[in-house]
Amino acid sequence: MNAKSLIKRNYEKHPKIDFPDYKSSIFRAPKNRKISFPSSNTEIIGPIFNKNIIGKLDNDLTLNFSRNKISPLGHKIIVYGTVSDQFTNPIEGALIEIWQANAAGKYLHDKDENPAPIDPNFAGCGRCLTSSSGYYEFLTIQPGPYPYPNRGIEWRPMHIHFSIFGKSFGQRLITQMYFEGDPLIKLCPMVNSIGNEKAKNSLIGVLDTSRSNTQNLLSYKFDIVLRGIKQTYFENRKEGL
Amino acid sequence: METIKEKLDETPFQTAGPFVHIGCMPNAIKINKIYQNDLGEIPFKNKQENELITIEGSVFDGNSFALDDVMIETWQCDEKGQFNGDNGFARIIPDNLTKKFKLKTVKPGSYKGFDGKTHSPHVSLSISARGLNMTLNTRVYFEDDELKNDPLLSILSSNNVNSLIAKKIKKNSYLFDIFLQGDKETIFLDI
Repeated sequence: MNAKSLIKRNYEKHPKIDFPDYKSSIFRAPKNRKISFPSSNTEIIGPIFNKNIIGKLDNDLTLNFSRNKISPLGHKIIVYGTVSDQFTNPIEGALIEIWQANAAGKYLHDKDENPAPIDPNFAGCGRCLTSSSGYYEFLTIQPGPYPYPNRGIEWRPMHIHFSIFGKSFGQRLITQMYFEGDPLIKLCPMVNSIGNEKAKNSLIGVLDTSRSNTQNLLSYKFDIVLRGIKQTYFENRKEGL
Repeated sequence: METIKEKLDETPFQTAGPFVHIGCMPNAIKINKIYQNDLGEIPFKNKQENELITIEGSVFDGNSFALDDVMIETWQCDEKGQFNGDNGFARIIPDNLTKKFKLKTVKPGSYKGFDGKTHSPHVSLSISARGLNMTLNTRVYFEDDELKNDPLLSILSSNNVNSLIAKKIKKNSYLFDIFLQGDKETIFLDI
Protein backbone atom coordinates (compact mmCIF):
# COMPACT_ATOMS: atom_id res chain seq x y z
CA MET A 1 0.00 0.00 0.00
CA ASN A 2 1.02 3.62 -0.32
CA ALA A 3 2.31 5.30 2.79
CA LYS A 4 3.91 8.57 3.67
CA SER A 5 7.14 8.73 5.55
CA LEU A 6 9.39 11.50 6.81
CA ILE A 7 12.92 11.65 5.45
CA LYS A 8 15.21 10.41 8.21
CA ARG A 9 17.00 13.12 10.13
CA ASN A 10 20.69 13.58 9.43
CA TYR A 11 22.01 14.04 12.96
CA GLU A 12 25.44 15.07 11.61
CA LYS A 13 23.82 18.35 10.64
CA HIS A 14 22.06 18.96 13.95
CA PRO A 15 23.46 19.92 17.35
CA LYS A 16 24.90 17.27 19.61
CA ILE A 17 22.44 16.61 22.41
CA ASP A 18 25.13 15.86 24.97
CA PHE A 19 27.43 18.88 24.68
CA PRO A 20 29.06 19.81 28.03
CA ASP A 21 30.33 23.20 26.76
CA TYR A 22 26.67 24.15 27.12
CA LYS A 23 26.43 23.47 30.82
CA SER A 24 22.67 23.13 31.03
CA SER A 25 22.88 20.06 28.81
CA ILE A 26 24.98 18.12 31.32
CA PHE A 27 22.11 16.95 33.52
CA ARG A 28 19.38 17.24 30.92
CA ALA A 29 20.63 15.58 27.75
CA PRO A 30 19.49 11.95 27.48
CA LYS A 31 22.35 9.45 27.17
CA ASN A 32 20.70 6.59 25.32
CA ARG A 33 20.31 6.23 21.59
CA LYS A 34 16.96 7.25 20.15
CA ILE A 35 14.74 4.51 18.80
CA SER A 36 13.82 4.78 15.12
CA PHE A 37 10.55 3.49 13.76
CA PRO A 38 8.52 4.01 10.59
CA SER A 39 6.38 7.17 10.47
CA SER A 40 2.77 6.59 11.39
CA ASN A 41 -0.32 8.78 11.19
CA THR A 42 0.56 10.65 14.41
CA GLU A 43 3.88 11.83 12.96
CA ILE A 44 2.50 12.64 9.50
CA ILE A 45 -1.01 14.13 9.85
CA GLY A 46 -1.09 17.59 11.39
CA PRO A 47 -1.54 19.59 13.48
CA ILE A 48 -2.70 22.20 10.96
CA PHE A 49 -3.42 25.66 12.33
CA ASN A 50 -6.25 27.84 11.13
CA LYS A 51 -5.74 31.36 9.71
CA ASN A 52 -8.28 32.78 12.16
CA ILE A 53 -5.88 32.40 15.10
CA ILE A 54 -3.63 35.12 13.67
CA GLY A 55 -4.31 38.72 14.69
CA LYS A 56 -3.46 41.77 12.58
CA LEU A 57 -0.44 42.82 14.66
CA ASP A 58 0.83 39.34 15.51
CA ASN A 59 3.83 39.69 13.17
CA ASP A 60 4.55 43.32 14.10
CA LEU A 61 6.55 43.21 17.34
CA THR A 62 7.08 46.97 17.18
CA LEU A 63 3.35 47.54 17.75
CA ASN A 64 1.82 44.41 19.30
CA PHE A 65 2.79 45.37 22.84
CA SER A 66 3.31 49.12 22.54
CA ARG A 67 1.32 51.62 24.55
CA ASN A 68 -0.18 54.42 22.48
CA LYS A 69 1.82 53.29 19.45
CA ILE A 70 5.11 54.28 21.05
CA SER A 71 7.94 52.44 19.31
CA PRO A 72 10.13 50.14 21.36
CA LEU A 73 13.76 51.25 21.71
CA GLY A 74 16.30 50.02 19.20
CA HIS A 75 16.47 50.00 15.44
CA LYS A 76 13.73 48.38 13.44
CA ILE A 77 14.42 45.34 11.33
CA ILE A 78 12.48 43.12 8.98
CA VAL A 79 13.15 39.42 9.20
CA TYR A 80 11.74 37.48 6.28
CA GLY A 81 12.19 34.33 4.26
CA THR A 82 10.48 31.22 3.06
CA VAL A 83 9.63 27.89 4.62
CA SER A 84 10.12 24.96 2.27
CA ASP A 85 10.63 21.22 2.58
CA GLN A 86 13.77 19.31 1.65
CA PHE A 87 12.46 18.88 -1.91
CA THR A 88 12.33 22.72 -2.23
CA ASN A 89 8.51 22.74 -2.19
CA PRO A 90 7.21 25.84 -0.39
CA ILE A 91 5.07 25.08 2.66
CA GLU A 92 1.89 27.11 2.88
CA GLY A 93 0.26 27.69 6.25
CA ALA A 94 3.36 26.86 8.30
CA LEU A 95 3.05 28.42 11.75
CA ILE A 96 6.07 30.46 12.80
CA GLU A 97 6.28 31.76 16.35
CA ILE A 98 9.24 33.90 17.42
CA TRP A 99 10.57 35.27 20.68
CA GLN A 100 13.51 37.50 21.44
CA ALA A 101 15.22 39.87 23.87
CA ASN A 102 14.72 43.63 23.61
CA ALA A 103 17.35 46.08 22.35
CA ALA A 104 19.12 45.94 25.73
CA GLY A 105 19.32 42.14 25.67
CA LYS A 106 16.54 41.65 28.26
CA TYR A 107 13.62 39.23 28.01
CA LEU A 108 10.21 40.04 29.42
CA HIS A 109 10.37 37.01 31.69
CA ASP A 110 10.60 36.55 35.48
CA LYS A 111 13.47 34.11 35.12
CA ASP A 112 15.72 36.49 33.16
CA GLU A 113 18.40 37.56 35.63
CA ASN A 114 20.26 39.86 33.25
CA PRO A 115 20.41 43.28 35.00
CA ALA A 116 19.30 45.18 31.89
CA PRO A 117 16.13 47.28 31.55
CA ILE A 118 12.86 45.94 30.23
CA ASP A 119 11.15 47.98 27.55
CA PRO A 120 7.52 48.71 28.48
CA ASN A 121 6.63 48.77 24.78
CA PHE A 122 8.18 45.48 23.79
CA ALA A 123 7.27 41.89 24.66
CA GLY A 124 9.39 40.15 22.02
CA CYS A 125 6.63 37.78 20.93
CA GLY A 126 5.22 37.31 17.43
CA ARG A 127 3.71 34.78 15.04
CA CYS A 128 2.43 34.33 11.51
CA LEU A 129 1.38 31.71 8.98
CA THR A 130 3.31 31.40 5.72
CA SER A 131 1.68 32.42 2.42
CA SER A 132 1.03 30.11 -0.55
CA SER A 133 4.65 30.64 -1.62
CA GLY A 134 5.91 29.76 1.88
CA TYR A 135 6.75 33.42 2.59
CA TYR A 136 6.84 34.94 6.07
CA GLU A 137 7.80 38.33 7.43
CA PHE A 138 8.20 39.95 10.85
CA LEU A 139 8.71 43.59 11.74
CA THR A 140 10.66 43.85 14.97
CA ILE A 141 13.67 45.55 16.56
CA GLN A 142 17.26 44.35 16.67
CA PRO A 143 17.65 42.14 19.76
CA GLY A 144 20.70 42.92 21.91
CA PRO A 145 23.35 40.37 22.90
CA TYR A 146 23.34 39.45 26.58
CA PRO A 147 25.43 37.81 29.30
CA TYR A 148 24.37 34.53 30.88
CA PRO A 149 25.96 32.08 33.30
CA ASN A 150 27.61 29.13 31.56
CA ARG A 151 31.36 28.56 32.02
CA GLY A 152 31.52 31.77 34.04
CA ILE A 153 29.81 34.62 32.25
CA GLU A 154 29.38 34.14 28.52
CA TRP A 155 27.56 36.23 25.94
CA ARG A 156 24.84 35.05 23.64
CA PRO A 157 25.10 36.43 20.12
CA MET A 158 22.11 38.47 18.97
CA HIS A 159 19.39 36.01 18.04
CA ILE A 160 15.71 35.40 17.49
CA HIS A 161 14.12 32.10 18.56
CA PHE A 162 11.95 30.39 15.95
CA SER A 163 9.35 27.69 16.48
CA ILE A 164 7.91 26.19 13.29
CA PHE A 165 5.09 23.78 12.53
CA GLY A 166 4.74 22.54 8.95
CA LYS A 167 2.12 19.96 8.02
CA SER A 168 3.33 17.15 10.25
CA PHE A 169 4.20 16.73 13.91
CA GLY A 170 7.39 15.06 12.68
CA GLN A 171 8.41 18.28 10.88
CA ARG A 172 8.31 20.26 14.12
CA LEU A 173 11.39 22.47 14.42
CA ILE A 174 12.68 24.84 17.10
CA THR A 175 15.76 26.87 16.26
CA GLN A 176 17.42 30.28 16.47
CA MET A 177 18.40 32.82 13.83
CA TYR A 178 21.65 34.74 14.24
CA PHE A 179 22.76 37.95 12.54
CA GLU A 180 25.40 38.15 9.82
CA GLY A 181 28.67 39.60 11.04
CA ASP A 182 28.09 39.14 14.79
CA PRO A 183 31.51 38.26 16.31
CA LEU A 184 29.81 36.40 19.19
CA ILE A 185 28.43 33.67 16.91
CA LYS A 186 31.68 31.74 16.71
CA LEU A 187 32.12 31.86 20.51
CA CYS A 188 28.67 30.49 21.32
CA PRO A 189 28.55 26.92 22.66
CA MET A 190 24.94 26.51 21.54
CA VAL A 191 25.94 27.36 17.97
CA ASN A 192 29.05 25.21 18.26
CA SER A 193 27.04 22.21 19.40
CA ILE A 194 26.48 21.86 15.63
CA GLY A 195 29.63 20.27 14.24
CA ASN A 196 28.93 20.84 10.56
CA GLU A 197 30.04 24.30 9.33
CA LYS A 198 27.50 24.55 6.53
CA ALA A 199 24.68 23.64 8.90
CA LYS A 200 25.91 26.21 11.42
CA ASN A 201 26.03 28.93 8.76
CA SER A 202 22.49 28.14 7.65
CA LEU A 203 21.27 29.67 10.93
CA ILE A 204 22.70 33.09 10.10
CA GLY A 205 20.22 35.64 8.76
CA VAL A 206 21.80 37.42 5.80
CA LEU A 207 21.67 41.21 5.49
CA ASP A 208 19.60 42.12 2.45
CA THR A 209 21.26 45.34 1.32
CA SER A 210 18.94 46.09 -1.59
CA ARG A 211 15.86 45.94 0.58
CA SER A 212 17.54 47.73 3.50
CA ASN A 213 18.46 50.61 1.22
CA THR A 214 14.92 51.27 0.06
CA GLN A 215 13.28 51.29 3.48
CA ASN A 216 14.14 52.85 6.82
CA LEU A 217 14.77 49.38 8.14
CA LEU A 218 17.51 46.82 8.02
CA SER A 219 16.36 43.59 6.42
CA TYR A 220 17.55 40.08 7.17
CA LYS A 221 16.67 37.01 5.13
CA PHE A 222 16.36 33.66 6.87
CA ASP A 223 15.06 30.68 4.91
CA ILE A 224 13.87 27.62 6.79
CA VAL A 225 13.83 24.02 5.58
CA LEU A 226 11.59 21.40 7.18
CA ARG A 227 11.85 17.66 6.66
CA GLY A 228 10.56 16.24 3.39
CA ILE A 229 7.76 13.69 3.29
CA LYS A 230 7.98 10.83 0.81
CA GLN A 231 5.27 8.69 -0.67
CA THR A 232 6.52 5.19 -0.32
CA TYR A 233 5.27 1.83 -1.30
CA PHE A 234 4.98 -0.12 1.91
CA GLU A 235 5.97 -3.74 1.71
CA ASN A 236 4.27 -6.07 4.15
CA ARG A 237 7.35 -6.90 6.14
CA LYS A 238 7.58 -8.83 9.33
CA GLU A 239 6.97 -6.75 12.42
CA GLY A 240 10.03 -4.89 13.61
CA LEU A 241 12.13 -5.26 10.49
CA MET B 1 10.23 2.66 -3.89
CA GLU B 2 10.51 6.42 -4.00
CA THR B 3 13.60 7.46 -5.94
CA ILE B 4 13.48 11.26 -5.71
CA LYS B 5 16.34 12.45 -3.55
CA GLU B 6 15.97 15.42 -1.23
CA LYS B 7 17.87 18.53 -2.33
CA LEU B 8 18.14 20.53 0.88
CA ASP B 9 19.25 19.83 4.45
CA GLU B 10 16.75 20.34 7.22
CA THR B 11 17.44 23.54 9.16
CA PRO B 12 19.33 22.56 12.33
CA PHE B 13 17.71 22.72 15.75
CA GLN B 14 18.80 25.05 18.54
CA THR B 15 17.65 24.95 22.12
CA ALA B 16 14.30 26.55 22.95
CA GLY B 17 16.06 28.04 25.99
CA PRO B 18 14.47 29.12 29.28
CA PHE B 19 12.18 31.77 27.78
CA VAL B 20 10.20 29.63 25.33
CA HIS B 21 6.99 30.75 27.05
CA ILE B 22 7.31 34.27 25.64
CA GLY B 23 6.90 32.97 22.12
CA CYS B 24 4.69 29.93 22.61
CA MET B 25 2.62 30.52 25.77
CA PRO B 26 2.74 34.25 26.52
CA ASN B 27 -0.52 34.29 28.49
CA ALA B 28 0.86 31.60 30.80
CA ILE B 29 3.52 34.09 31.95
CA LYS B 30 1.12 37.04 32.08
CA ILE B 31 1.94 38.61 28.74
CA ASN B 32 -1.76 39.00 28.17
CA LYS B 33 -2.37 41.63 25.61
CA ILE B 34 -0.94 40.07 22.46
CA TYR B 35 -2.82 36.80 21.82
CA GLN B 36 -6.36 36.21 23.05
CA ASN B 37 -5.50 32.64 24.02
CA ASP B 38 -2.35 30.61 24.09
CA LEU B 39 -2.19 28.05 21.32
CA GLY B 40 -2.97 24.56 22.60
CA GLU B 41 -4.64 25.78 25.80
CA ILE B 42 -7.15 22.97 25.43
CA PRO B 43 -6.67 20.07 23.02
CA PHE B 44 -10.33 19.49 22.16
CA LYS B 45 -13.02 22.13 22.35
CA ASN B 46 -16.59 21.49 23.47
CA LYS B 47 -15.86 18.46 25.62
CA GLN B 48 -17.52 17.79 28.96
CA GLU B 49 -15.43 17.14 32.05
CA ASN B 50 -16.64 13.52 32.26
CA GLU B 51 -15.34 12.82 28.72
CA LEU B 52 -11.79 13.73 29.70
CA ILE B 53 -8.83 11.87 31.11
CA THR B 54 -5.90 13.40 32.97
CA ILE B 55 -2.26 12.58 32.31
CA GLU B 56 0.06 14.05 34.88
CA GLY B 57 3.69 13.75 35.82
CA SER B 58 7.02 15.51 36.07
CA VAL B 59 10.10 15.79 33.89
CA PHE B 60 13.18 14.83 35.93
CA ASP B 61 16.79 15.74 35.13
CA GLY B 62 19.89 13.67 35.98
CA ASN B 63 19.87 15.03 39.55
CA SER B 64 16.26 13.95 40.05
CA PHE B 65 15.12 17.56 40.08
CA ALA B 66 11.77 18.16 38.43
CA LEU B 67 12.01 20.79 35.67
CA ASP B 68 9.77 23.82 35.85
CA ASP B 69 10.96 25.53 32.66
CA VAL B 70 10.06 22.75 30.23
CA MET B 71 7.35 23.02 27.56
CA ILE B 72 5.61 19.83 26.50
CA GLU B 73 3.59 19.73 23.31
CA THR B 74 1.14 16.92 22.85
CA TRP B 75 -0.50 15.64 19.67
CA GLN B 76 -3.04 12.87 19.30
CA CYS B 77 -6.09 11.65 17.44
CA ASP B 78 -9.61 11.86 18.85
CA GLU B 79 -11.51 9.02 20.54
CA LYS B 80 -12.41 7.60 17.11
CA GLY B 81 -8.80 7.52 15.89
CA GLN B 82 -9.23 10.56 13.61
CA PHE B 83 -6.79 13.45 13.15
CA ASN B 84 -8.41 16.74 12.33
CA GLY B 85 -6.93 20.26 12.04
CA ASP B 86 -5.32 21.25 15.32
CA ASN B 87 -7.79 19.29 17.46
CA GLY B 88 -5.68 17.17 19.75
CA PHE B 89 -2.79 19.64 20.01
CA ALA B 90 -1.91 20.98 23.45
CA ARG B 91 0.90 22.79 25.19
CA ILE B 92 1.54 22.26 28.87
CA ILE B 93 4.06 23.45 31.44
CA PRO B 94 4.62 22.22 34.99
CA ASP B 95 2.99 24.00 37.88
CA ASN B 96 5.46 26.33 39.61
CA LEU B 97 4.95 24.78 43.04
CA THR B 98 4.27 21.10 42.43
CA LYS B 99 6.49 20.89 39.28
CA LYS B 100 3.85 18.60 37.79
CA PHE B 101 2.32 18.98 34.36
CA LYS B 102 -1.26 18.02 33.80
CA LEU B 103 -2.89 17.28 30.45
CA LYS B 104 -6.66 17.07 30.30
CA THR B 105 -7.72 15.49 27.06
CA VAL B 106 -9.90 12.82 25.50
CA LYS B 107 -8.56 9.31 25.55
CA PRO B 108 -7.29 8.74 22.00
CA GLY B 109 -8.67 5.83 20.02
CA SER B 110 -6.60 3.25 18.22
CA TYR B 111 -6.18 3.64 14.48
CA LYS B 112 -5.18 1.63 11.46
CA GLY B 113 -1.94 3.16 10.19
CA PHE B 114 -0.51 3.66 6.70
CA ASP B 115 1.20 0.34 7.30
CA GLY B 116 -2.14 -1.42 7.63
CA LYS B 117 -1.41 -2.25 11.27
CA THR B 118 -3.44 -1.28 14.30
CA HIS B 119 -1.72 1.28 16.49
CA SER B 120 -2.67 1.24 20.17
CA PRO B 121 -4.00 4.52 21.63
CA HIS B 122 -1.16 6.93 22.28
CA VAL B 123 -0.34 10.60 22.71
CA SER B 124 2.79 11.91 21.04
CA LEU B 125 4.99 14.32 23.03
CA SER B 126 7.54 16.90 21.97
CA ILE B 127 9.67 18.20 24.84
CA SER B 128 11.59 21.49 24.72
CA ALA B 129 13.68 23.18 27.41
CA ARG B 130 16.88 24.96 28.28
CA GLY B 131 19.70 22.40 28.08
CA LEU B 132 18.01 20.42 25.30
CA ASN B 133 19.76 21.24 22.04
CA MET B 134 17.02 19.40 20.16
CA THR B 135 13.39 18.81 20.95
CA LEU B 136 12.83 15.30 22.36
CA ASN B 137 10.03 13.07 21.15
CA THR B 138 8.31 10.28 22.96
CA ARG B 139 4.88 8.65 23.28
CA VAL B 140 2.45 7.95 26.10
CA TYR B 141 0.54 4.66 26.00
CA PHE B 142 -2.03 3.57 28.60
CA GLU B 143 -1.61 0.50 30.80
CA ASP B 144 -5.25 -0.54 30.55
CA ASP B 145 -5.15 -0.85 26.75
CA GLU B 146 -4.28 -3.77 24.51
CA LEU B 147 -0.61 -3.03 23.74
CA LYS B 148 0.86 -6.30 22.54
CA ASN B 149 0.51 -5.70 18.81
CA ASP B 150 1.39 -2.03 18.69
CA PRO B 151 3.99 -1.56 15.90
CA LEU B 152 6.27 0.64 18.01
CA LEU B 153 6.02 -1.20 21.33
CA SER B 154 6.58 -4.53 19.66
CA ILE B 155 10.09 -3.52 18.53
CA LEU B 156 11.11 -2.44 22.06
CA SER B 157 12.48 -4.57 24.88
CA SER B 158 10.11 -5.01 27.83
CA ASN B 159 12.10 -2.56 29.99
CA ASN B 160 11.86 0.07 27.30
CA VAL B 161 8.18 -0.58 26.76
CA ASN B 162 7.50 0.24 30.40
CA SER B 163 8.98 3.72 30.11
CA LEU B 164 6.28 4.62 27.56
CA ILE B 165 3.27 3.35 29.51
CA ALA B 166 1.24 5.64 31.74
CA LYS B 167 0.08 4.04 35.01
CA LYS B 168 -3.55 4.28 35.90
CA ILE B 169 -3.82 5.96 39.31
CA LYS B 170 -7.59 6.27 39.49
CA LYS B 171 -10.55 6.38 37.17
CA ASN B 172 -9.70 8.48 34.09
CA SER B 173 -6.39 9.49 35.60
CA TYR B 174 -2.88 8.44 34.59
CA LEU B 175 0.66 9.07 35.80
CA PHE B 176 3.47 9.52 33.29
CA ASP B 177 6.84 10.71 34.59
CA ILE B 178 9.62 11.52 32.14
CA PHE B 179 13.26 10.85 33.04
CA LEU B 180 15.85 12.67 30.95
CA GLN B 181 18.75 10.63 32.39
CA GLY B 182 19.60 7.81 34.80
CA ASP B 183 18.46 4.21 35.31
CA LYS B 184 14.92 5.09 34.40
CA GLU B 185 15.78 7.21 31.35
CA THR B 186 12.70 7.46 29.14
CA ILE B 187 12.85 6.07 25.63
CA PHE B 188 13.09 8.94 23.17
CA LEU B 189 12.16 8.46 19.58
CA ASP B 190 13.72 9.32 16.25
CA ILE B 191 10.35 9.98 14.64
